[in-house]
Amino acid sequence: MANYYDIGDILAEEELVPTVFQYGANGVGLFDSSDDADKFHFHDLFLARSKTREEIAADAAHVDLRSRSPYFYELGCKIALLIRDRTIGPFLLVAFQTRYRDVLVKAHALTLTMTPKYLTLLTNEEIKLYEAGQSSIAAFKKWRMGGPRFQVAPVLGRKRKLT
Amino acid sequence: MAGTSDPHASAFSAAELEFLAEDEMIEIVPNLRMDALNFISGDFGPFRPQIPTQAPLWLAVALKKRGKCTIRAPEWMSVDKLTQVLEAERDSDKFQPLPFHYVEISRLLFDHAQGDIPDTYMVRSLIEDIKDVRFHKIGKGLESISGGGTFALKLKNLSAMEANIVRPFVTRALETFYKLSSSDMIQETDNAPNRQQTANRGPRRQLKDR
Repeated sequence: MANYYDIGDILAEEELVPTVFQYGANGVGLFDSSDDADKFHFHDLFLARSKTREEIAADAAHVDLRSRSPYFYELGCKIALLIRDRTIGPFLLVAFQTRYRDVLVKAHALTLTMTPKYLTLLTNEEIKLYEAGQSSIAAFKKWRMGGPRFQVAPVLGRKRKLT
Repeated sequence: MAGTSDPHASAFSAAELEFLAEDEMIEIVPNLRMDALNFISGDFGPFRPQIPTQAPLWLAVALKKRGKCTIRAPEWMSVDKLTQVLEAERDSDKFQPLPFHYVEISRLLFDHAQGDIPDTYMVRSLIEDIKDVRFHKIGKGLESISGGGTFALKLKNLSAMEANIVRPFVTRALETFYKLSSSDMIQETDNAPNRQQTANRGPRRQLKDR
């Protein structure tokens, strides 16, 4: 229940809704051979021998997880609970571990080299991580540059219309 | 600020850390005569010309700006000491003991009291190098934490500014690792009635040994 108010969680669940519905509908008649293209796509994300898994085993850092789903990790956690596939958890963990190292290095690069293409590969959680690192480094550099200690609060800048 | 709605903000802004650092004591040589100042935080003074006294950094900087004193560089800020520290940082994997606010103190002194520090350029570049080496060590250490069992980190002798820079990143990363590993445990209890496995929080791993 702790995730009830977490906006990320809510959005991830939003994402999940269309696919779960299809899965549930098909799961009723489990071996229903209705050829559902969407169901395939959803399964491909986490199926044991899927293309995604192979890509991650090869080079986790550069796999474009965002195009699979911006909420890759959250989706994975929920699906793991639903379909009781025990290999998903460790798979997610390993993927995150390898990618996390890259995010770490790039986020804290003291020089502001733009890596726009790299950002499109990251899922939402990873982007938050990246931004957290980036913003604190930027704030530190700004402080080191010096500058006025006290700044006028933006609220005071507005002129009020005296009607 | 601690209360902003921006979830990415560190617990402290850099300016706030500087504010906290200004409470550190430093030695000054006043050139005015003044009676003791009584503050809630303590009493400072009395100030007599050419007699060195201890004063908090904020007071020292304020007096210096008005030309009422000269500041004596703290003893860790000498070329010899800093060279020693730099060598030790480069050779060892641990962090060398340094004043907790050394980054902020050095910036303040360079900004306001540049003339009072002997060998300013040398000292400045040494401190920059020390900072870079330590930062690099932090990065190395962070790379090594794997999701398996790490739920807390211990970094001995880290300074205030360094801790503040990595704080948002590390807390988020640890949170995500925890979420991902705990989902494994949930699966375990679903399939097997073995209760003991959920209590296993993984081995305690310390990044920097004592």
